[in-house]
Amino acid sequence: MSPELRKSPPEPLAPTLFDIARPFETTLDNGLRVVIFEDGRLPLVSFRLAFYHGDANDPEGKTGLTSAMASMLSEGTRDYTSLQLAEKIERLGAGVSARASDDFTILAASSLSLYASEILGLLAEVVLRPTFPETELDLYRRNTIEHLKFQRSQPPFLAGEQAARLIYGEHPYATVTPSAADVETLKRDELLRFHAETFLPNNAIFIAVGAVDRDELLTELEAAFGGWEKGLVPTPGFPDPPKRDVRSITIVDRAGSAQSNIVIAGLGVKRNDPDYFPLLVMNQVLGAGASSRVFMNLREEKGYTYGAYTRLETKMLAGSFEATAEVRSAVTGDSLKEFFYELDRIRVDIVDNQEMADAKNFLTGVFPIRAETQEGLTNLIVNQHLYGLPEDYLQTYRDKINAVTANEVLRAAQKHVRPDEAAIIIVGDAEEILSQVNGYADDIEIFDTEGNRQAMEKYSKSSVESDAQVSGKWELKINFQGQQLPVTLELLQTGADVTGKLNTMLGDGEIADGRISGNKLTATANAQMQGKGMEFIIDGKVDGDSISGTITAPIAADAIAFSGQRNG
Amino acid sequence: MAETFNLPPLEIEQYTLENGLRVVLNPDNAIPVVSVAVYYDVGSRNEREGRTGFAHLFEHMMFQGSANVPKAGHFQHIMKAGGTMNGTTSSERTNYYETLPAGQLPMALWLESDRMLSLAVTQENLDNQREAVKEEKRLRYDNQPYGQIFDLINEMIYQNFTNSHSTIGSMEHLDDATVGDVQDFFRVYYAPNNAVIVLSGAFESRVARELIETYFGDIPSQPPPPGLNVDEPKEVAANYREWEDKLAPFPAFLIGWKIPARRSPEFYALYLAGKILYDGESSRLYQKLVKGEESVIQLFGFTDERRGPSSIFVGAIPKPDKDLSQIRETIMKEIADLAAHGPTSEEMEKIENQLVNDVVRMRQSSMSRAQQIAEFALYDGDPTLVNTELDTLLAVTADQVRNAVGAYLNTDNRALLDVIPVGKG
Repeated sequence: MSPELRKSPPEPLAPTLFDIARPFETTLDNGLRVVIFEDGRLPLVSFRLAFYHGDANDPEGKTGLTSAMASMLSEGTRDYTSLQLAEKIERLGAGVSARASDDFTILAASSLSLYASEILGLLAEVVLRPTFPETELDLYRRNTIEHLKFQRSQPPFLAGEQAARLIYGEHPYATVTPSAADVETLKRDELLRFHAETFLPNNAIFIAVGAVDRDELLTELEAAFGGWEKGLVPTPGFPDPPKRDVRSITIVDRAGSAQSNIVIAGLGVKRNDPDYFPLLVMNQVLGAGASSRVFMNLREEKGYTYGAYTRLETKMLAGSFEATAEVRSAVTGDSLKEFFYELDRIRVDIVDNQEMADAKNFLTGVFPIRAETQEGLTNLIVNQHLYGLPEDYLQTYRDKINAVTANEVLRAAQKHVRPDEAAIIIVGDAEEILSQVNGYADDIEIFDTEGNRQAMEKYSKSSVESDAQVSGKWELKINFQGQQLPVTLELLQTGADVTGKLNTMLGDGEIADGRISGNKLTATANAQMQGKGMEFIIDGKVDGDSISGTITAPIAADAIAFSGQRNG
Repeated sequence: MAETFNLPPLEIEQYTLENGLRVVLNPDNAIPVVSVAVYYDVGSRNEREGRTGFAHLFEHMMFQGSANVPKAGHFQHIMKAGGTMNGTTSSERTNYYETLPAGQLPMALWLESDRMLSLAVTQENLDNQREAVKEEKRLRYDNQPYGQIFDLINEMIYQNFTNSHSTIGSMEHLDDATVGDVQDFFRVYYAPNNAVIVLSGAFESRVARELIETYFGDIPSQPPPPGLNVDEPKEVAANYREWEDKLAPFPAFLIGWKIPARRSPEFYALYLAGKILYDGESSRLYQKLVKGEESVIQLFGFTDERRGPSSIFVGAIPKPDKDLSQIRETIMKEIADLAAHGPTSEEMEKIENQLVNDVVRMRQSSMSRAQQIAEFALYDGDPTLVNTELDTLLAVTADQVRNAVGAYLNTDNRALLDVIPVGKG
C-alpha cells in the first residue's frame, strides 16, 4: 500500500445492522415473572432466578443475612447434601451459583442444552428447599470471618468501604461487608425464617436464554415452580444518603504501601434517573476508558499510574460517581491536582463535537460485542428487567445514546460531578500522603486498615499543618533602585521542603534549603552573578497563586520588597 | 454422553503472505462483530540475561504510536470505532487483539499493520513506558499480598534461565535498555514472518484477503530470530524456599511441579488430573481441605502451558491456626491416591462434560476463538487443531491420568514456597 494511502485512517465498510429480538414474557399464577429468549446458536442454556431483595434489605443488626442465605442455598437441601449437590451439578459440566448484591439476589445456572432439564431441577431444589445445615453454617461463619480479615489486606476494598460510608451515610448501601459480630451470631432458624419470608415468587423473575423450546420450558417451569406460594412483599423505607457540602479527605493508613489508592467520590444517580444517558456519555468522555481524559492525562501524559478512570455506579435507589487511580506514593498530591483539573473542566467547558462523537461511537459500538456471548446477552436482559427499564430498552439503547447533546452532558456534569463536595479517600502510607494533600480539604481524618479512626497526633506534626503548596513557576517583580527587575522562581515542594531555581537578568541560582511552614516560605538561593557568588534570602507569604515578601541580598543595604504570581 | 456430542467444526482458512505472515480466517456471521488477533512469536523466553522484562516493555511500546498513528492513538482509534482491545505478554508470545463492529475491520488492519511496519521507537516513548511498567509492577506485584509468589516459584521450578525468569522482569534491566536495544528487538521479533494474524467473526473472506494483502503485503520480512533452547533437566532448581511477604495477612504455600510440554500426552493427562484435584466444589482437594478438614481459606491450582517444559501448581491459604505441613500431607496423600487408583468413572464423566462445556462456551466469542486459533497456528503450525483438540482431550483415559500423576506429581521433585507474613498488621 502506498505511504500516502496509509496516512489517514480507513473508511469503514458498510455497517451491518444488529438487533436484539424482544423476548417472550409471561407471569405464572403465583406471580413469578418469566422471560424467555430463544437463541439456538450454540447448544447452551443460561437460567437466572432473581429476587428483588438484596443486602440492603438485611434487617437491622443482621448485616450479611441475605448474603449468607444466598451462599448457603447450595450447602444442603431437603433431598441432597452439599457434596451431593456439587457432584450432581459438576458431573453435568454445569454451574449453579447464587449471590446477593445491594439490590438483588441472583441465582445463575448454565449448562449444555442437553442437560437443561436436570439443571433446572437442581436450581429449583436449591431455591425452594434449602435446609441450611448447622455444620455447613458453622463452616460458613468461620470462613466468612476469615474472609472479612483477608479483605483488609486489599487496598481497593479499604477504599471502597470508606467511600460507601462517606457517600451513603445511614442508607444501607453504606454497608459493603457484614460485621464480624453479626456473622458470628447467624442462626439456622433465622435463615430458614428469612428464606420463607423473602424468597417469594411474586418478588422474583425467571429469565432463560439459549437453546430452549419455549413451550417445553414453560411446562417444566410450571412443574418446578407452580406450587411455590406467593406471599407479602414488604416495602422497606430507607433514609436518604446525606447531602455533602464540603470536601473531605479520608486516609486509610497502610504502612508499607508502594502506592496510594485514590478514590474521589460523590453521590451519583440511581439507575432510573433521567440523567442516566447524558451521564453515561459524560463518563465516557471523562474517564470510563483508555481514551478518556483522565487516563490520557494521568497515565499517558504524566505517567503517574498504570490506569486512571472514572466510574458511574447506578443502583436501584441511589448511585455514586467516582474517580480512581492507584498511583505511586510520591505523586499522590500531583495526581489529585490533575484529577481536580479534569473534574472542573468537564463542568465548565462544553465537550466538543469530536469528543462527543467518539464517546457515542464507543458506547454504541461495544453494544453488540457485549451481546456476543450468551452470558453477555443474558446479563443485558437481566439488568433491563431487574431495574425495571422500558420494554424496548435494548432495542432503543443506541438511539438514546446518539440523542445525547453536549449541552445535556454539561448540565449533567454540573449537577452530578461535584469536586467541591467530594470525599477524597486515599489508601496508602499516611505519613507520605499527609505531606502532599494539604490544601485539598480542611477536613482530614485517618483510619487504620481495621477501620478504626486514628488520632491525628500520631502523625508527624509538620505534615499535618495546612501548609501552602508552592510548586510551580513564579514571576516576581522586584523594585530595586527605581527599576522593576523581573525575577523567576521555579519551585518544587516535597512535603515541607522546597528546592528549585532562581533566575534573574544578572545570573541564576539554586535554592537548596527552602521550607514551607503554614503560608510562610523561607529559602536561600546561592547565585552566581557576574562571576561572583551571592546569597539571596527569600522571605515570602503565599496566598494561593500570589506571593509577596522580601529578598535580602548583599547588593542592597535593606531588604527589597517583591510581589508575584504563579504562572505555570 | 460426551462421545455422542457432535459439535460442527469451525470454518478455518489459512494461507501465508509472501513476506511470511501467517493468516488464518474464521468467518462466522452470527453477530456483526469481528475480532483480530496478532500473535508475535516473542515472549520472556526470548529474553537474554541482563535484559529481562523486555518483551513486556515492548508490548507497552506497541501502543506508543507509529508512522501514521500518534502516541496512544491506537486506543483512541479503536475506542472511537466502537471497539475494545488489549495486549498481553507471556513466556511464550506477545499478543495484540481487538474486537470491533464488523464494518470497522479496515481500522483494525490499518492499526496493526502500521505498527508492524513503522513503530515509533523514541527515547521519550521508552522513558514514559518504563515508568508505566514500573507502575504496573507496583500495582500487580509489589503492592499485592502474595503478588510475587508465582514469579518466585518459577525460579524454583526451572533451572534454565530461558524458562525461569519472570515476564515483568527486572526494573534495573529496563533502566539499562537503550533506544538501540528496543529498535533491534523490534526488527528481529516484530517481523511479519515471526507473526500470525487471525480474523474471527463477521466478514467476507474475499474482502478480508484483499484488505490483509493491502495492509500487510508490503511489510518487509526479516531474517529469522535466533533459536532458543528451553531444555530442562528433570529436577527442579530448588525444593524449598521461604518468602517474607510484607502485605500478606496470613501464611500461605504454593507447590509447583515441572511437567512435560503442552499437547504432550502427559500434559493432557495432568491437565485432567488438575481438574480432578482442584477444580470446583466437588474436586478432591476442595472436599478434603475446605470441607472435611476445614483447614483452608482458599485453595487454588492451575497449569502453566508452555511449548517447552510446563508446570502445574497447587496452593492454599490456610486458616491462621492450622498446621501447614498437615495440609500439605493431605494434598500429597490425595495425589498418591490418584496415582495408585486413578480417577473414578464418575470423575471421568464429570471431566468429559466439563471439557465439552468449556469448548462450547469458548466458541461464543469471536475474541476467544481468534485467540485459541492463533495459539495453535503459532505454536503448532496448525490452526485446525481448534477443531480436534476436544477429541484429543476426551480420548485421555483414566489409566493415563493415573500414570502421569504417578510419574510427575511426586514429593521429591517439587518446589515448595512458604509465604511468611511479616507485615505490621
